Amino acid sequence: MSDWPLSRLDPALHMLFWSAATVACYLLSKRIYRKWPKWWLTPLAAAPAALIVAALVLKEDYRDYFHSAGWLLALLGPATVAFAVPIYEQRALIRRHWPVLLAGMVVGSLVAMATSWGLAAALGLSGVLQLSLTPRSMSTPFAMQVSGEIGGIPDLTAIFVVMTGVFGAVIGEFLLARMNLRSALARGALFGVGAHGAGTAKAHQIGQVEGAVSGLVMVLVGLLNVLAAPALAHFLR
Amino acid sequence: MTARRIRITFRHFIHHSRLVQIGLIVALWFVGGQIGKALQLPIPGGVIGMSLALVLLMTGGVSLFSMKRGADWFLAEMLLFFVPAVLGVLDHREFLGLLGLKILAVILLSTVAVMAMTALTVDLIFRWSEKHERLAS
Repeated sequence: MSDWPLSRLDPALHMLFWSAATVACYLLSKRIYRKWPKWWLTPLAAAPAALIVAALVLKEDYRDYFHSAGWLLALLGPATVAFAVPIYEQRALIRRHWPVLLAGMVVGSLVAMATSWGLAAALGLSGVLQLSLTPRSMSTPFAMQVSGEIGGIPDLTAIFVVMTGVFGAVIGEFLLARMNLRSALARGALFGVGAHGAGTAKAHQIGQVEGAVSGLVMVLVGLLNVLAAPALAHFLR
Repeated sequence: MTARRIRITFRHFIHHSRLVQIGLIVALWFVGGQIGKALQLPIPGGVIGMSLALVLLMTGGVSLFSMKRGADWFLAEMLLFFVPAVLGVLDHREFLGLLGLKILAVILLSTVAVMAMTALTVDLIFRWSEKHERLAS
């Protein structure tokens, strides 16, 4: 069992194998989720679980996996560019209601940082962990930027951002079913401020306006926080 | 006349090819990244690319139908791009155990608070402003 051929595969083939496996697991879990929409069957939970099983069976290190399939992560960049289309389509609504959205973003950012930092301190986590958790609700590039400026460890923050996305998409759906939210703006802002890109993907499944608002709010919250980071650093350090 | 024909054929081609539109979006992302690097902005290339795309759409430099199909694809499949990142998290064995549980608790509780407060703020102000608009008109 110790000499599985996978680790000795040509790097290009190795990359092809794990990229194809990732896409296949994703597509399969998406199809299953469409049929049985249980929260634990969401593609963000089921696809990684299937890949972990595959990696264990093939005795692969996660690092080797990540080396081969990590390029998919870079596609979040062009996905952000794609936000322009729904934002453009909903421009009349956004122009009309921007003060409401701005209020939601400011409140959401403050609650995100205060509760992350406060809860981490209350649970006795170390100072560096507290600071690394503080910007976790923004999308990765922004969160890492802010984390570095306020004295956290950007790489740790990136992990917390992913965890926020995975759980946030589920929590958001759960809250949506229990809160009586009248406006699509509120439903979109909930996902965009609370769970960045993963939440925005969910918001797009819920509705066009929700998706557009979530994408816009996610980007603006990131920008807002990067601009505010120097002041924040002064306060936190 | 032939120049016009070529232009119409070209536009038709772009409006119908998802792959070309995906290429256009990736190109905007790349240009955004280069601009960010050149100006040393602390803003990711995707966000600069998004701003460029918005400007192009607003000014009519690019029509909505030259991007819509490509953008819809990216938005529909966005969760795929997160899948490797989730496996990356599992590489951190130091977070297995009590420390990991504490971190998880912070993330879960804080996310509930953020989402609830954000949504309530937006919904309350939205309802309030709708009511005032109705009263004013």
